[in-house]
Amino acid sequence: MAIEILLIDKDKGHAEALGVYLERQQFEVYKAGSPDDVPMLFDNLSVEIVLADPGLPDTDTVHLLKQIKKSHPGVQLIIMSADEQLDQAMDLLKQDVVHYLRKPVKSAALDLAVKQARTWIAMNKKVARYEKKFKDLRNAQNLYQQLFDEVPCYISVQDREFRLTATNRMFKRDFGDEIGSYCYEVYKHRGSPCRNCPVAATFEDGLPHPTEEIVTSKSGKQYNVLTWTAPIRNSLGQVTQVMEMSTNITRLRQLQDHLTSLGLMIGSMSHGGKGMLTALDGGVYQLETGLARNDEQRISKAFGQVKQMTGRIRNMVLEILYYAKSRELSYEPVDISKMVEKVLNNAKAIADKNGINLEASIANDLGAIEVDPNWMQAALVNFMENAVDACTYDRSKEDHTVKFDVFDPGGDRICFVIQDNGMGMDQETREKMFTLFFTSKGSQGTGLGLFIANRVIHQHGGTIKVESELQKGTRFKISLPRQKPEQPLRTDKPEKWANGLLDDSGKGST
Amino acid sequence: MKKILIVDDDPNIVDYLVTLFEDNGYATCSAGDVQEGLAAAKKEQPDLITLDLEMPGEWGPRFYRKMSEDKGLKNIPVIVITGFSESEHAVGKAVASLTKPFDREELLSIVKESLA
Repeated sequence: MAIEILLIDKDKGHAEALGVYLERQQFEVYKAGSPDDVPMLFDNLSVEIVLADPGLPDTDTVHLLKQIKKSHPGVQLIIMSADEQLDQAMDLLKQDVVHYLRKPVKSAALDLAVKQARTWIAMNKKVARYEKKFKDLRNAQNLYQQLFDEVPCYISVQDREFRLTATNRMFKRDFGDEIGSYCYEVYKHRGSPCRNCPVAATFEDGLPHPTEEIVTSKSGKQYNVLTWTAPIRNSLGQVTQVMEMSTNITRLRQLQDHLTSLGLMIGSMSHGGKGMLTALDGGVYQLETGLARNDEQRISKAFGQVKQMTGRIRNMVLEILYYAKSRELSYEPVDISKMVEKVLNNAKAIADKNGINLEASIANDLGAIEVDPNWMQAALVNFMENAVDACTYDRSKEDHTVKFDVFDPGGDRICFVIQDNGMGMDQETREKMFTLFFTSKGSQGTGLGLFIANRVIHQHGGTIKVESELQKGTRFKISLPRQKPEQPLRTDKPEKWANGLLDDSGKGST
Repeated sequence: MKKILIVDDDPNIVDYLVTLFEDNGYATCSAGDVQEGLAAAKKEQPDLITLDLEMPGEWGPRFYRKMSEDKGLKNIPVIVITGFSESEHAVGKAVASLTKPFDREELLSIVKESLA
């Protein structure tokens, strides 16, 4: 396509001559006799070079040229002027002009000027192309950075020494902005590279490697992650860095653990349940035969047993529900004396049936406490039942007593002490007693009672101290805050429950 | 009168079996674990033993093995009564294996047969 030149010159003859000359060189030439003709022309053309006589001292043309340069910076100006006006033209237009020619214009000078203008035009176009490319590149880079940051995985790029050279936003959020430190330090808090490192394997063979790891965040939380590695190669195809992508599958694992423990529970429950049903059968049989024989003593004994067994089965079902369902505690202010009385009534029925003495020492004016009364009562009864059981199973002594003390130790707390002189616990039992499904009662325990009781106490912000000696007995000291804790130590969401199976730091059951 | 030894750690179940057997004309004695069971077996020389498998401390199969090693006890018939559903193989020579909760009439008929 021919380059378009706009010629502005009042001197028609001169313009005509130049036009002919330029057209002969394959330019498309448009001519304007005065600046007034130009704007219309400009709007319809794609002029790239303007060859103009400013026609000083009149400055209309100079203004027009400045305006053109402003609205079309790519247009190249060549000024031709009578010798005596040249200095003034230069003063007025300065660097806006690519070349100044002295009138009358000689062909060699004009050729040079046009050539120079064309060089500028070509360069400008090149620069514009580069600018566009650069902008596209920057957009692409932004896009990739955004993708890198927004991917819901931990991504890190590592060199051969396992130093982090880039990390994405999620990584920074959970593991800190640790560019330059070592992968094993940040992920595993260790001082040397890990064994079976997938990044090392990828540096070795250039292939992706999957692993599953447990990593520790900057706040000390442990996450299960599924990790994939990928090589990053230079232009020679050598692996210079390795990208490691880790998906956090902690919730998945927790859910799996929860399901596993539910499965375990059903097994354990069905076994414990069978014992209870058999004992219930026994109660029903004795009730039947007692009624048939009109045997008062047998009837009342049988009734006691049926009552106890239905109570146990009821508790078992409640425990299953408590475990299987995530439920919030519903706190309400409770009169401590009334709650303790209910616990004692429950415990007394069990103690009497088994011939165990029950001694209660309840302080006066205990006031109120903010708890979920259903669960707190169930937890306390569970501790009492365990104490009675510990006595029933103990064959080394004749007389057994369970003591229940409730008092206010100050500090806005309430203390419950449950003490028995039963069989006591060895160290193993003491360590495991709060563990899910741990039971020392053979077929009669489900392994849930103390586990849940412990959870309930902790959820209320309470603490449990245990002292126990084999053959001598056991003492549980439970301390509860009077007010609902701001942040419960544990919430009973299913995934948290499953953790009880994983860590052995002292939680868990009957 | 034939005498039955009941070995079970759950006092409620022991109570049930004692009443059931005595109502049906048998004498009974009971034990809550393996050691007590062995001592009672030697002392009381029962005609039949019912055995729970899962108990605190040593379990039922150990009771059976120790009992089998004793000439005076090894011919006493044993009925396993347990919460495990697949317990037939736990005590191979038991005359019967019942799963809790067991059928009362079935137990009584097995007892009757074994003591005939």
